[in-house]
Amino acid sequence: MLAIGVAAAVVTTLVAVLIPWLPVSAGKESHRIHFVYWFTTAICIGVFSVVVAVLTYSVIHFRARPDDDSDGPPTHGHTTLEIVWTAIPAVLVTAISIVSAVVLAQNGHAGNDPLVVKVKAQQFAWAFTYPNGKSYGYLTLPEGRHVKLDITSQDVIHSFWVPELSQKQDAVPGQHNTIVVTPTRLGTYPVICTELCGLGHAVMRSHVEIVKAADFDAFLKSGGQQSGPAGLAVFQENGCGGCHTFKPAGATGKVGPDLDNLADAAQKANRGPEAQFVQESIVKPQAYIAPGFTDAMPHTFGSQIPPDKLKALVQYLVKGS
Amino acid sequence: MTDAVLTDHHHAAPAAPQGYRRLTAPGWLRVLWVTPLFFGLGLGLPVLLRWLAHWDPVWKGSVLVSVELVTTPLGFLVGLGGFDYWAHYASGRPTRPEDHSGHGARSWRDYFRVNTDHKVIGIQYVVTTIIFFCIGGLFAMLFRAELAQPGDQFFNPQTFNVLVSNHAALMIFLFIIPAFAGLGNYVIPLMLGAADMAFPRLNALSFWLLPIAGVMLLAGMAAPGGGPSAGWTCYAPLCSHQPLGQVFFNMGVQWAGASSIMTALNFLVTIITMRAPGMTFWRMPLLVWANFTTSLLVVIATPFIAGSQFFVMFDRVLHTNFFEHGGGGYVLGYQHIFWFYSHPAVYIMMLPGFGIISEVIAVMSRKPVFGYRLMALSLMAILVLGFSVWAHHMFVAGMAGWLRVPMMVTSMVIAVPTGIKIFSWLATMWEGRIHFTTPMLFALGFLSMFVIGGLSGIYLASVPIDIHASDTYFVVAHIHYVLFGGSVFTIFAGIYYWFPKMTGRMYDERLGKLHFWLTFAGFNLTFFPMHYIGLQGMPRRVADYASRFADINLFISIASFGLGASVLVFLYNMANSWAHGPAAEGNPWRALTLEWQVSSPPPVFNFDELPQVVGNPYEYGVPGARHAIFGAPHPEPVGAD
Repeated sequence: MLAIGVAAAVVTTLVAVLIPWLPVSAGKESHRIHFVYWFTTAICIGVFSVVVAVLTYSVIHFRARPDDDSDGPPTHGHTTLEIVWTAIPAVLVTAISIVSAVVLAQNGHAGNDPLVVKVKAQQFAWAFTYPNGKSYGYLTLPEGRHVKLDITSQDVIHSFWVPELSQKQDAVPGQHNTIVVTPTRLGTYPVICTELCGLGHAVMRSHVEIVKAADFDAFLKSGGQQSGPAGLAVFQENGCGGCHTFKPAGATGKVGPDLDNLADAAQKANRGPEAQFVQESIVKPQAYIAPGFTDAMPHTFGSQIPPDKLKALVQYLVKGS
Repeated sequence: MTDAVLTDHHHAAPAAPQGYRRLTAPGWLRVLWVTPLFFGLGLGLPVLLRWLAHWDPVWKGSVLVSVELVTTPLGFLVGLGGFDYWAHYASGRPTRPEDHSGHGARSWRDYFRVNTDHKVIGIQYVVTTIIFFCIGGLFAMLFRAELAQPGDQFFNPQTFNVLVSNHAALMIFLFIIPAFAGLGNYVIPLMLGAADMAFPRLNALSFWLLPIAGVMLLAGMAAPGGGPSAGWTCYAPLCSHQPLGQVFFNMGVQWAGASSIMTALNFLVTIITMRAPGMTFWRMPLLVWANFTTSLLVVIATPFIAGSQFFVMFDRVLHTNFFEHGGGGYVLGYQHIFWFYSHPAVYIMMLPGFGIISEVIAVMSRKPVFGYRLMALSLMAILVLGFSVWAHHMFVAGMAGWLRVPMMVTSMVIAVPTGIKIFSWLATMWEGRIHFTTPMLFALGFLSMFVIGGLSGIYLASVPIDIHASDTYFVVAHIHYVLFGGSVFTIFAGIYYWFPKMTGRMYDERLGKLHFWLTFAGFNLTFFPMHYIGLQGMPRRVADYASRFADINLFISIASFGLGASVLVFLYNMANSWAHGPAAEGNPWRALTLEWQVSSPPPVFNFDELPQVVGNPYEYGVPGARHAIFGAPHPEPVGAD
């Protein structure tokens, strides 16, 4: 039985070690979370091996022959044994609880001077706002600095997750939830919405770029200007590409109508000139629903896109530049 | 069942109604006209009231639907005769308490009416739930087809979300919970030495609520605007702004929940008051103990999900603001109320399975259950702890921060009583004479898979790991190891174990084993890789995903079709053996518990002679040990404990 147990432990350990179960760790918090993961895994391998050993041994050795109608020995229990298998798991889960609680407390520390980034989620886009008031549809973070993300939602519940940073937090309307991340590894990683938030949930994606501290300062100073038309920035900030296809922006969303043929659509809708139709469809999407679609687009863009940006967006959508 | 009992003058069926009386007698003919009547009532009343009050519009979909989903099913139940006896009693008309014409099954038609026999009801439950199991499984294969490749294949996101939501809702509310209720219904009165359940008419009614709930969930898919698509968890505020189908979900859950509560009350009263002479609590089989604790969970917790679903529906229909932030509601309040039911619901879906496994392992290993009292007490411990862990579903939700560590500790501590059960089952097998019948294979499959599901549960109980893994495929893997590797395996074990008793015929052992191995392999190939993609970064409930997960998702989809195909073996075995299987003996497993001491299937009123319980139910290997004797001259009163 010992041999079976050792074999099970070896095999499980190999499975645990050889398969890269976790994504690369790109932050201090995820280092710690990975540590809890491995601590728990070591204990679980032990428990699993014991169970597998006893189970396999019993199945092999206590198999009844086809004509064997006899009963086993009438063992009703064994008090010491029962105390042991109550106490040992209790000790093990207590150990995991303590390690988890310590890591949870450490991962909540934002230090004295964290960079605070406001994260606003809405169907189906992310907006990240920096202390200088500028906001973007993607996240840029400096390496090696505590960052406090202040997360909220405009409509339904969403959830902010970067697998490589491990930290996750729901965005809840009317609430400001915070998490701390401390990036340690340069690179670009996905930002994923993990809470079912409606039709565009699967495409509610953005990315986080972790840059050197100096580059980050430069990014803040430059205002993070992207090259390209002003309307493109508005298009990206508001996550339009999550639902709509629009070739000039490289957007391929399929939840809402294709925006590449707006002129035709405006004609079919017969609601005034193209620019007027496009603007109405953004600020009051329920006024006209394209055939084959439902009233799924948020009604909030009218109040959240300032007039100058709206103008740029309409122009961009109509002219493609 | 013997004809002698049924032709007894007390139990004689009244003469079949003739002429117009066929329309007023309880049954499907009456359903045909009473249901439309109630439908009209549900339509006319709100419209009339709105018209009188000058409310605009007079026809309002969400209002009409919520009223109709109460009145139409009521009409169906009235037509079928679910309330006849009580209506007679309440209106002072003569009732015949000794009339057993609605009891027992003489032909297949008796399974399609309000029947008060717990054995008929048990079979009604099991067959109905298996139908919904197949529908729910079909939905799973449909969305696995969509997930075989990234991007859009067959379904738009709305349809995908509907399939995912209804897959879970059907499996939980229409399969696992009621399947256990069905097995318990059949077995508990027999195990206790009782003639039936304490409230047979309530029992009949609680079954008929079930198909109503199932049809309602399915009908929601065809609702104008789209079906329920906010997941089975139906989180506010998303679900208050979904298409009309969501109301079908809100109300469907009410009907399933009502059914569940009624059955649980019935189980509790039956177990407390209807034990045979000598059947003390410490002599009850563990299946009865398991259903006793489960029923306590159901009656305490289920009203909370009823509340949560009513509140979100009111937010939509009546413009209340329970969970609407804009109106001063508390968004996370929904999750607190929902999980205060839905975490205990995990044990509602597991404890009866623990009971089944204790029966099967003891009988098939020919040994007493190891540590019987601790096994019963650990069920009670899970019951108590189960109410103190709900917020571990909300570690990333943004609830009060201090709640996280205490809820983590209680969640971890549940591993202790669960561990006691696992180790005790292993010790029961130790030095036994193990017979590898199909129920035993499923019990062993359960044991190994549930250990994996339990261990991945430890990961998710740890707050930091949960922060990473929450809402990913890791959770999907975990829940399927617990609810499929756990609950569904035990349901299969139970169905095979009691099949001879329920049908009077033996199933095909070779096909049963084939079914087990196909299920076991298909299950692991489908769900084990989900741990990996979840930790790597694939969220749950998405119709589209990053292309780096394409290969492994294709693999999972193919495996899931194999898993689906394994059910065909089961269905064929069940149908064919029920029709043509060899006759079963009264006690093919040489078990000691009471249900095996009567014929297969048992007499209409279970016991021709009152059993006298004289010992423990699992005394295998004890020379001359008896659980019960029949025909004892002077029955002792039931023990006061």
